[in-house]
Amino acid sequence: MTAFAAVTAVLSVGMITYVSRAGLIVFLADRPLPPNITRALRYVGPAVLSALTVNLIAGGEGIGGVEFVEIAALVVAIIVAATARNLIAALVAGMTTLWLLLWLL
Amino acid sequence: MDSDERDRSLDGTTAEALRAAIPLFIPAIPFGLVLGVAITDSAMPTAVAWSTNLAIFAGAAQLATVSLAATATWLTLVATAAVINLRHVMYSAALSPRFSDQPRWFRWVGPFFLIDQLFALTSLRTEMSGPRWRRFYLSAGIFYFVSWTALVTLGLVVGSSIPTEWRLDVAPAIMFAGLVVLGLVNRPGIVAAAVGALVCLVALDVPNSGGILVGAVSGVIAGYVADVADERRATARAS
Repeated sequence: MTAFAAVTAVLSVGMITYVSRAGLIVFLADRPLPPNITRALRYVGPAVLSALTVNLIAGGEGIGGVEFVEIAALVVAIIVAATARNLIAALVAGMTTLWLLLWLL
Repeated sequence: MDSDERDRSLDGTTAEALRAAIPLFIPAIPFGLVLGVAITDSAMPTAVAWSTNLAIFAGAAQLATVSLAATATWLTLVATAAVINLRHVMYSAALSPRFSDQPRWFRWVGPFFLIDQLFALTSLRTEMSGPRWRRFYLSAGIFYFVSWTALVTLGLVVGSSIPTEWRLDVAPAIMFAGLVVLGLVNRPGIVAAAVGALVCLVALDVPNSGGILVGAVSGVIAGYVADVADERRATARAS
């Protein structure tokens, strides 16, 4: 990625982030969003973050980019996150699983 | 005398804001360090990737931007960030009544700092209004901005000395998966996450990481449909 492309990308994402935070505060002081929209927006977080996880695990190499050790680490992290309800514990458990498997295999 | 008293109460508000803000920052520490490491691994020049702290200031959007730079086009990157940022639209919608009695400059400046933690803190302070709420909001917001940038910079410095065999490149995916799980509070949320992941998996060969968008849109639709279905079932049971 060239420096110019990178700067353009960062500025564009920055602008989009600002607009999504400021839009309703600056322009629509008191008018609420339609309830259907609010309802759909609730599921944006889980949908996009899980899709992003899958994409990052594949690393741009399609399904062939997914390694067994990565899946194992992810599964352990998900179980720990669900039971302990703690992001740090999930990260530590996932990375420890990854290191253990890389060392064993 | 009168204005002196008011200033002192505002100073108290700054201290109160910092006391409330610090505990919520602790869970962001591993995220910030992971982002710092991801910046050193990024396909972007390091300085540009670091500047996301100042230009974007949103952990998930920053992490997506620097780690997708290698595989995504400008359009996919921006569209992905837009989708990730949709939760900010919810925050903006929820907080906009609190901004209606605030000065214009603050309506423009305040939203820049609107990260998850700040929303959680300031939306709860219903007993505050006017200058006091503004002072609380800005104190906590600036605290997060400064500490976040320092934390990510620390991750960047530490990260560049960590050998690649440690596979810290996997950490962002684990972080996002953990965020998904912690954000799941109801059945439709689980449906949205599962459909988002599965559709993205099937659509992995869509070029330029376009599968993220296909997965995200499918997940949102699935979550919405499940939510409507659950509500219908609940009303049917009630009647």
